[in-house]
Amino acid sequence: MRGQKSGWSLGLAGLLAPVTLWLGLFFLVPLLLILAYSFGTSGVYGGITLGFNPSNYLKVFDPLYLEIVVRTFVIAAINTLICLLLGYPLAYFIAFKGGRWKTILILMVMVPFWTSFLIRAYAWVVILNGNGVANKTLQFLGITDGPVNLIFTPGAVTLGMAYAYLPFMILPLYAALEKFDPRLKEAAQDLGASKWHTFWRITFPLSMPGVIAGSILVFIPSAGEFVIPNLLGGSRTVLIGNLVQQQFLQARDWAFGSALAMMLAALLLAAILFYVRHVGTDKLEGV
Amino acid sequence: MEERRTMQQSPPGETERKVAVRLSGVTKSFGDFAAVDDVSLDIYEGEFFSLLGPSGCGKTTTLRMIAGFEEPTAGEISVAGQQVQGVPPYKRPVNTVFQSYAIFPHLDVFDNVAFGLKRAGVKGDELRRRVTKACGMVQLAGYEKRRPNMLSGGQQQRVALARALVNRPKVLLLDEPLGALDLKLRKELQLELRTLQEEVGITFVYVTHDQEEALTMSDRIAVMNEGKVQQVADPATLYERPRNRFVAGFIGQTNVISGKVESVNGDRVLIKTAAGAEIEAIAHEEVRVEVGAEAHLAVRPEKLRFGNSGDNVFAAEVRQIVYLGASTQYIMKLADGGRLIVYQQNAHDATVNAAVGDEAQVSCDATNCLVLGG
Ligand SMILES: Nc1ncnc2c1ncn2[C@@H]1O[C@H](COP(=O)(O)OP(=O)(O)OP(=O)(O)O)[C@@H](O)[C@H]1O
Ligand SMILES: [Mg+2]
Repeated sequence: MRGQKSGWSLGLAGLLAPVTLWLGLFFLVPLLLILAYSFGTSGVYGGITLGFNPSNYLKVFDPLYLEIVVRTFVIAAINTLICLLLGYPLAYFIAFKGGRWKTILILMVMVPFWTSFLIRAYAWVVILNGNGVANKTLQFLGITDGPVNLIFTPGAVTLGMAYAYLPFMILPLYAALEKFDPRLKEAAQDLGASKWHTFWRITFPLSMPGVIAGSILVFIPSAGEFVIPNLLGGSRTVLIGNLVQQQFLQARDWAFGSALAMMLAALLLAAILFYVRHVGTDKLEGV
Repeated sequence: MEERRTMQQSPPGETERKVAVRLSGVTKSFGDFAAVDDVSLDIYEGEFFSLLGPSGCGKTTTLRMIAGFEEPTAGEISVAGQQVQGVPPYKRPVNTVFQSYAIFPHLDVFDNVAFGLKRAGVKGDELRRRVTKACGMVQLAGYEKRRPNMLSGGQQQRVALARALVNRPKVLLLDEPLGALDLKLRKELQLELRTLQEEVGITFVYVTHDQEEALTMSDRIAVMNEGKVQQVADPATLYERPRNRFVAGFIGQTNVISGKVESVNGDRVLIKTAAGAEIEAIAHEEVRVEVGAEAHLAVRPEKLRFGNSGDNVFAAEVRQIVYLGASTQYIMKLADGGRLIVYQQNAHDATVNAAVGDEAQVSCDATNCLVLGG
């Protein structure tokens, strides 16, 4: 009996070893490296001297950078909300009205993944720029006289992000709604709940695991995004991701870049803990 | 119990009892398949009414039309005197206990039971009082804070019941509510349900495919088959006077014997079997018989007895003897190859001592041989 048991855990350890090694090498080690860098001092021509130098973190509170931090979180939050508002009805529709088309419809949600992310981001540049499709259409319809500035605005960044991350919201929502027992809706209606009440008292609370998973999957990468703000935001909509990139690649201030990255990670962790605690757990219980 | 049964011997007249649910000519088709086919029923206030029939005969569909989850393809339904066509489920004065219970998994027992009352605007002390009372009624007092996933099947069933009953609906619809439970618990809950129904006086429409359950619980039963109502009657009438072959075979065990009608004299009918035996039987007024026509007659196993003291005597060979405790079942083979099942009570003066292989005579009275309709 005992032999059997330890055999089991040996097998389990064997299965877990590769992933543990993988995460240790490629996640934990770089993370510790960044942590060490963030307390170091950057040399004038790049390079870094390790030590304990908290000034990199204090620099983050410079109003110039603070504004970028706040903007990043606002845009990520708005993007998450937009994805939720757009994604929920679609996931709902596919899960409950999709019938035998369900699988095909959910596959279609994933179709954008078949092309490179970069190409899709560039496509938005083509659409939104001065004489792009969007402007041409607006002029053709007589809504605007000349080209209007669509690209290089926070709006363009939000649009691009919502486009990029919508599938990450839809899939977990769909997974949660797909499991939902439609007989519960009938039971609620039988007990006097209108469709509206049934949705808010039964369907939505029971889809909370999907809402939470989707929100986290969208919020985290949006907050760290740098390609979309780079292409669609220009110099006026810089996000933390761009700042980190600049520090590492252009300014060559690795210490400050590392401090920014650590700050972002810490803030995201705090945000998620807060979110799960206040939106999630009580609703997740017993589901 | 006895009193209740005798009271229903005469079907209640509409002047005495109000109709709680009326179905007139209700048909429900899915494509060109009629799941419910021209069903007309009157269910009276305060009645324990069962829909009984084999799987797929349309019981659930009928119930769902009353609840409002399906609209009839043809015909009309009224609940408490009100036409309910187009009225959504949440506006109908009925509540349902679902076969799957459909308890809200994210709400505790209290909130499950309170769900309907809250929608009706009941609040505060009144809400608490009524929910607590309903929980007590189904023996769930003290379980109010439990989550559904911490309840046993029987307890979940009780939550489903309390959740529906607490709203004091005009009619309570129950779709095989005990189907998922083991036999012992089922028997217990059958009794409880029946007692509860008598206490609250709400009309119960109870769906089951278990004839024994229907017989023990119901005031009246509608036997359904292939979307059609075969017979509506109280349990004793269904058993003693089945209208057709389906009902005779579905309710309890019965022997069916076929033959040609020789003569008709009032309700007395003489039937000649293919083997040439003449059997005297009775035909109730609702059954049409014509001389020369094919006819089937039913005789219950316990109405047959050994010996030749009855109106009709059969000669048969004992093929199998099954001892059932209170009674013994004899499976006999008739001269023409037909099978006859005979029950004998193992009473204090039991005298039968037939053995397998014996030739024996069994007989019955003409009044126990019923001619069946189509
Ligand atoms: N939505 C539907 N679409 C097509 N056919 C249906 C639908 N609902 C029911 N049916 C068919 O109608 C018939 C009656 O179904 P119903 O559920 O009423 O049977 P039931 O008497 O409740 O059977 P059971 O005892 O197995 O629950 C079945 O043949 C079923 O396949
Ligand atoms: Mg059914």
